[in-house]
Amino acid sequence: MAPKDTLFRSADMSLTQLYIANEIGREVVSALGELGIMDFRDLNSETSAFQRTFTQEIRRLDNVERQLRYFHTQMDKASIPMRSIYEFHNVNTAPSASEIDELSDRSQQLENRVASLNESYETLKKREVELTEWRWVLREAGGFFDRARGQTEDIRQSVDEDDDAPLLRDVEQNGNAEQQERSFSGMNIGFVAGVIPRDRIAAFERILWRTLRGNLYMNQSEIPEAIIQPETNEEVNKNVFVIFAHGKEIIGKIRKISESLGADLYSVDENSELRRDQIHEVNSRLSDLNSVLRNTKQTLDAELTGIGRNLAIWMTIIKKEKAVYQTLNKFSYDQARKTLIAEAWCPTNSLGLVKSTLQDVNDRAGLSVPTIVNQIKTSKTPPTYNKTNKFTLAFQTIIDAYGTAKYTEVNPGLPTIVTFPFLFAVMFGDFGHGCIMTLAALAMIYWEKPLLRSKQDELFSMAFYGRYIMLMMGTYSIYTGLIYCDAFSKELPIFPSMWKWEFPDDFQEGDSVTAVRNGDSVYPFGMDWMWHDTENDLLFSNSYKMKLSILMGWCHMTFSLCWSLVNARHFKTPIDIWGNFVPGMIFFQSIFGYLVFAIVYKWSVDWYHLDPPRDPPGLLNMLIYMFLSPGTIEEQLYPGQGPVQVILLLMAVCCVPVLLFLKPFYLRYEHNKARAQGYHGLGERTRVSALDDDDEDHTLNGNGNRDSYGGDEDGVAMITQDIDEGEEEEFEFSEVMIHQVIHTIEFCLNCVSHTASYLRLWALSLAHQQLSIVLWKMTLGIAFSMSGATGIFATVCLFYLWFVLTVFVLCVMEGTSAMLHSLRLHWVEAMSKHFMGDGIPFEPFSFAVLLEEEPVE
Amino acid sequence: MANGWSIIIGLAVIIAFSLLSWFLAPKGENQTVWRSTLILSAWACYIMWAITFLAQWHPLIAPTRTDLRRDMYEHRKLV
Repeated sequence: MAPKDTLFRSADMSLTQLYIANEIGREVVSALGELGIMDFRDLNSETSAFQRTFTQEIRRLDNVERQLRYFHTQMDKASIPMRSIYEFHNVNTAPSASEIDELSDRSQQLENRVASLNESYETLKKREVELTEWRWVLREAGGFFDRARGQTEDIRQSVDEDDDAPLLRDVEQNGNAEQQERSFSGMNIGFVAGVIPRDRIAAFERILWRTLRGNLYMNQSEIPEAIIQPETNEEVNKNVFVIFAHGKEIIGKIRKISESLGADLYSVDENSELRRDQIHEVNSRLSDLNSVLRNTKQTLDAELTGIGRNLAIWMTIIKKEKAVYQTLNKFSYDQARKTLIAEAWCPTNSLGLVKSTLQDVNDRAGLSVPTIVNQIKTSKTPPTYNKTNKFTLAFQTIIDAYGTAKYTEVNPGLPTIVTFPFLFAVMFGDFGHGCIMTLAALAMIYWEKPLLRSKQDELFSMAFYGRYIMLMMGTYSIYTGLIYCDAFSKELPIFPSMWKWEFPDDFQEGDSVTAVRNGDSVYPFGMDWMWHDTENDLLFSNSYKMKLSILMGWCHMTFSLCWSLVNARHFKTPIDIWGNFVPGMIFFQSIFGYLVFAIVYKWSVDWYHLDPPRDPPGLLNMLIYMFLSPGTIEEQLYPGQGPVQVILLLMAVCCVPVLLFLKPFYLRYEHNKARAQGYHGLGERTRVSALDDDDEDHTLNGNGNRDSYGGDEDGVAMITQDIDEGEEEEFEFSEVMIHQVIHTIEFCLNCVSHTASYLRLWALSLAHQQLSIVLWKMTLGIAFSMSGATGIFATVCLFYLWFVLTVFVLCVMEGTSAMLHSLRLHWVEAMSKHFMGDGIPFEPFSFAVLLEEEPVE
Repeated sequence: MANGWSIIIGLAVIIAFSLLSWFLAPKGENQTVWRSTLILSAWACYIMWAITFLAQWHPLIAPTRTDLRRDMYEHRKLV
C-alpha cells in the first residue's frame, strides 16, 4: 500500500493499463471523467487527428455544438436570458448514447425551425423597411411635386437666364407653344425618387453632377427618424431624394448611379390623387405586415425561451461528450478482440476507487466481460500530483507557477502556506491594515459561492483566487502589527511602557527629554509604544528591522536548505548529503550563522553595565575584518573571538573544495566501478510501456510488444523494470564537473546575495510604516489640529480621504508590492536551496477541470 | 515584568504548542497541512517576538522627545 497522499510530496502514481470492452468505452471514459483522477497517455501520437477512430463522432458533436452556439447568439440578439447552469441539479449524471442522439436530432430540428423563423422574420423586416422608406419617399416627394407644380414657370425662367444650362433647352425650343401644359411629362422631364444613406449624399451629388454635367435638378430632404437595417440591426439615417432630369438615357444613368451607391428607388406617381392612394395602400400593407411580424417574433421568442431553459445543460453535455471522444481517440483499438486499450497515470491510492467505478459501469451495462485494470512497471517518470483543496490550492499555484516539483521531491507548497504570508506580514506589519485585509478576505470567503458563479474583472478575480492567502496574510499582518506596535501608524499601549519621561529641574518647553528605564523590566510584547513620535524612533526601528530581516532571512534559508537533506535521503543519494548539503550548510553557517549569533549575542549583553562599561562593537566592521584581517580583533565582542573567527573562516574555505570536487569524483568512481564489474548502461534499452512506440529501437522490440497485449496477461512481463533512473544517459565526467562548478559558485555567491536580498523585509516594512505616518499627518493630523465647526467638517472630509487612501494606497498598492517581494523571496531565495523542479505536471482528464476552463455561461 | 527568562519560557511554550499541534491535529487527509501550518506559524511568530524582545532587552538608545510639556505629563501621572 502506498503511503498516504499528503501535500508534503507528490502522491504515488502508477501507470495503469485498462482493457475496456468496445461497447462500454464511452461510458467508462465518461465515468472516469467525472472522477477526474486519470491522466491518459496518447497511444496514437503518430496518427493525425483525422485518422483516429472517433473522428466522425467528434465532427457530429462539433456540429451540435455549433448549433447550440447559434441558439445562444440568437438568444443574445433577442436578449432572452439563459437559465444558469447552477440552477440544474442533475448536472453530473452522464447521458446515455441514445440521449445524445436524441439531443443531436432535436438540436438539428430546432436549428431548422429557428433558422426558418429567423429567415421569414428577416424577410418580413426587410419588407417593412422597404414599405417605410417608400412611405417616406411618397410623403417627401409629394411635397416636392406640390411645391414644384407651382413653380414650373420659375424653373423655366431660371433656366432661360442661364446661358449654358442645357437642361431645358429643347423644352424651351419646342415647348413655347404648350406653355399652358404644366406637367413635367409634358416638358419631357423624367424623375427618379428614392432613399439613400445620409453619409453618402455628398458623394452621390458630386458623382451625379460630374456624370451628367449638371443636367439635373435634385431635391432632397432628411428622414427625421433613423431606419433600422434588418441585416445588421443598425440604425441608419437616410435622406429622400427626387432627381429631375431630361431624357430617358439620363434617367437610366441616374438610376444606375443611385443603385450602385446603395440607394433604394421607389416609384412615385406624379399625380397627387394616385399618390394619395399609394400612401393609403402602403399604410394598410404596413399595418398588416406589422401584425405578421409581431406573430413571427412571438413564435421565435417562445421557441428561444424554450431552448434557453435547457441550453446550458445541453452545452455541458455536448462539451463532456466531445471530451470523452477526444480521450477515446487516445486509446488504442484492438480489432481482433474488440477491446480498447488505454494507459493512464493515476494516483496509486485511487486505484481502488477507479476499479469500483469501472465495476459499477460494467454492472450497469450488464456486460459479462469485465474491464481489466493492470498496474504496469515503468521507467518513465510519473507526473507530479499534489492533491490540493480550496485552501491549499492558491499556495500550491505559487509554487507551480515557478516550476513543477520533481516526482516525490519535497513540495515547497506545504511550508509556503505559512512562510509566504508571514514574510508578507513582516513587510506589511500594521494592525489596522491587517484587519482590513482580513475582513476583505473573510468577506470573500463568506460569499464564496455567489462570487464563484458571478463574472468578475481580472483584478478582483485574482484577489478572489487568493482569498485564503489574503486571509493568512491579513492574520499575520495583525500579529506583526502588534509586534511593531502600529495600528494605522498609531501606537497600541497594551502593556505599561518600559520607559518613563524624567524632566530635568530646569526644564523649558521645547527642550529635549530623554526617557529612562522604568525598572529593569523589558516590554513584554513587541515594540515599546513609547517609541512612537520620538525624535530617534527611526534610529531605533531602523537598526531593529535591519537585524530582524537578517535573522528572518537566515531562518528561512536554513529551513529551506534543510529540505535538500530530506530530498537526498528520500532519493537515496547520500552523495548529495556529503557533497552538497553538509559542506553547503557549514559554509553558510560559519559565515551567516556566525553573524546571526553575533547579533543575538550583542543584544543579550548589557554593554553599559559591564565592568568596566564599554561601547558595543560594530557588527558590520566585525564581519568585514573577519575576512580582511582574520584573527585581529579591534573591538572585542566576547573573549576568544579571534581564534573562533579564524576557525570559522577556515571551515568555510575548506568547504569550497569539498563542494566543488567530492560529488563529481564520487560519481566517476561509482561509474568506473560499475564498468569494471562489466555492467553496461548503454545497450540496455528498457521498454517504457507495452504500447509505447517512441523508443528508437522500435523495429527491434516494437512488433513484439505490439503483439504482446493481444496475447495473454504475460504481455506485461515483456516490460522490464529499469533499475537506473529514467532514460539512461552516458556518464560524462566533464559535464558533471561543469555542473558542479556552476553549482558551487552559485551557492557561495548566493549565500551573500540572498542574505542581502532579505534586507528587502527591512526596507519595505520601514517604507510602509513611514508612509502610513505621513498619510495620517497629512489628513487626519491636519483635521485634528482644527477646532470648532471647521474642525468637525474637516474631520469628516479628511477621514474619507484618509480611509480611501489607506485602502487603495496602503492596503492594495503596498500590499501588492509586499506580496511580489515575498513571492520573489520564495522563488529565488528559498526555492533555490532545495527545489529541483523538473517534474511533469499531472493533468487528469476531468470534466470539472474542463468546465472550469471553458465555462458555460 | 519581563526579563531574559521570558525567552526561555516562550520557547518552552512554543515547544509545548508544537507537540500539542502535532498530536491533536485533526485526523484525515489534511492532517499534514494542519500540523505544518500550526507548528510553522507558532515558530515564525515566536522568532519574530523573540527578536523584538531581544532588541529591547538592553537598549543602546533611549527615546527622546522635544515636544513634551511638563503639565501634560504631570497631569497624566496624577491620573
